[in-house]
Amino acid sequence: MRALFVLAVLAITAPAFAHHSFAAEYDGEKPITLKGVITKIEWENPHMHFYLDVTDEKGQVDAWKFEGFPPNMLVRQGWKRDVTLKVGDTITVFAWRARNGMNLAHSREITLADGKKILSGPPAGIGGGN
Amino acid sequence: MKQLIAVLLWVSVAVAQKPPVPKTADGKPDLSGIWQGGGAAGLSFAIGADNAKAARPDAAPAQAGRGGGARPEPAPYQDWVQPKLKEIRDRRSIDDPSGRCLLVGVPRITSMPLPIKIVQTKDEVIFLYETFHAFRVIPTDGRGHPDDVDPSFMGDSVGHWEGDTLVVDVTGFNDKTWLGGGGASIHSDALHVVERYRRVDYDTITYDVFIEDPKVFTKSWNLAPSFLSLRPGERLREYECIADNQDIQRFEELLKTPSLFVRPSQ
Repeated sequence: MRALFVLAVLAITAPAFAHHSFAAEYDGEKPITLKGVITKIEWENPHMHFYLDVTDEKGQVDAWKFEGFPPNMLVRQGWKRDVTLKVGDTITVFAWRARNGMNLAHSREITLADGKKILSGPPAGIGGGN
Repeated sequence: MKQLIAVLLWVSVAVAQKPPVPKTADGKPDLSGIWQGGGAAGLSFAIGADNAKAARPDAAPAQAGRGGGARPEPAPYQDWVQPKLKEIRDRRSIDDPSGRCLLVGVPRITSMPLPIKIVQTKDEVIFLYETFHAFRVIPTDGRGHPDDVDPSFMGDSVGHWEGDTLVVDVTGFNDKTWLGGGGASIHSDALHVVERYRRVDYDTITYDVFIEDPKVFTKSWNLAPSFLSLRPGERLREYECIADNQDIQRFEELLKTPSLFVRPSQ
């Protein structure tokens, strides 16, 4: 019976604020921080995406894709389309990697070229735990 | 220092002079306006912590226990549901219907991180939700539920006033949504929800929810009290969920290889 009770508590799987399961797609135990140049922005509901060219120390360029909040939420948090993020900007992104092993991650915080930090997505694990 | 004192005085006067709760012509509290649900935590998630603090410096202390971080009671599920809850957890909620843009039902719709417009008339209260463009037209003229209700995602709502509180009775649900509050997900078509909305001050509607579903719960229960915050100057925006939704496609890909996302057996 105790086990069942514990299970019920752990089964808090549908947090009120989540739109979809973060945890099924992204691994909250695999944080990653990448610096690169924005090559494309998809400012679309229900979730924005942006692409980054990341150059390693050997000069190798890897293309990465990041998911973020819906534009409808971003504008209410102070973002402006085509202003806050622009193609060509150099940014640093803190994110959690996708479970599918691709160069895909869910962004949480972006550091702009001037050092300003802005939130771009929810904390890890929302919707289904880590 | 004098300037600081002047600012503090101005702030305290501004807070003290918060407008009274508006009333309709027939003397009811007027709920009309654009609101964000989910209590202090919901507001912070929806518009950012700094914006939330600026918009509602009173939210946390004044509304303690109303969505301000109170730990909800676990939903009183019957034993037969537990394996299904475990499966949801083990599959990391990949089956959440909201991830496929399906209407999220009541009460979950209230705490989604997008605003709600309420339009109140003499005989109806109309809720317009930015989330998935859901709507509810709630009669308050004394009528009951229709006798031909088909099971639906948002159920059928009828309301009445008890003093200054709008009480909304919701039945006629299908079993395709997740409750999404108090740790609850699964429910049946026997779900019955009673919502209580009370505009306690100019920028706050308290939100209390009673839930019963004899097919899945051992008893009736109440969600942790929450509230909606007025969002002056806000407007509803389009929130098309399917056309550019890349998550649905990624879910389908993941489902082909469950080992990528399903929790290992314990």
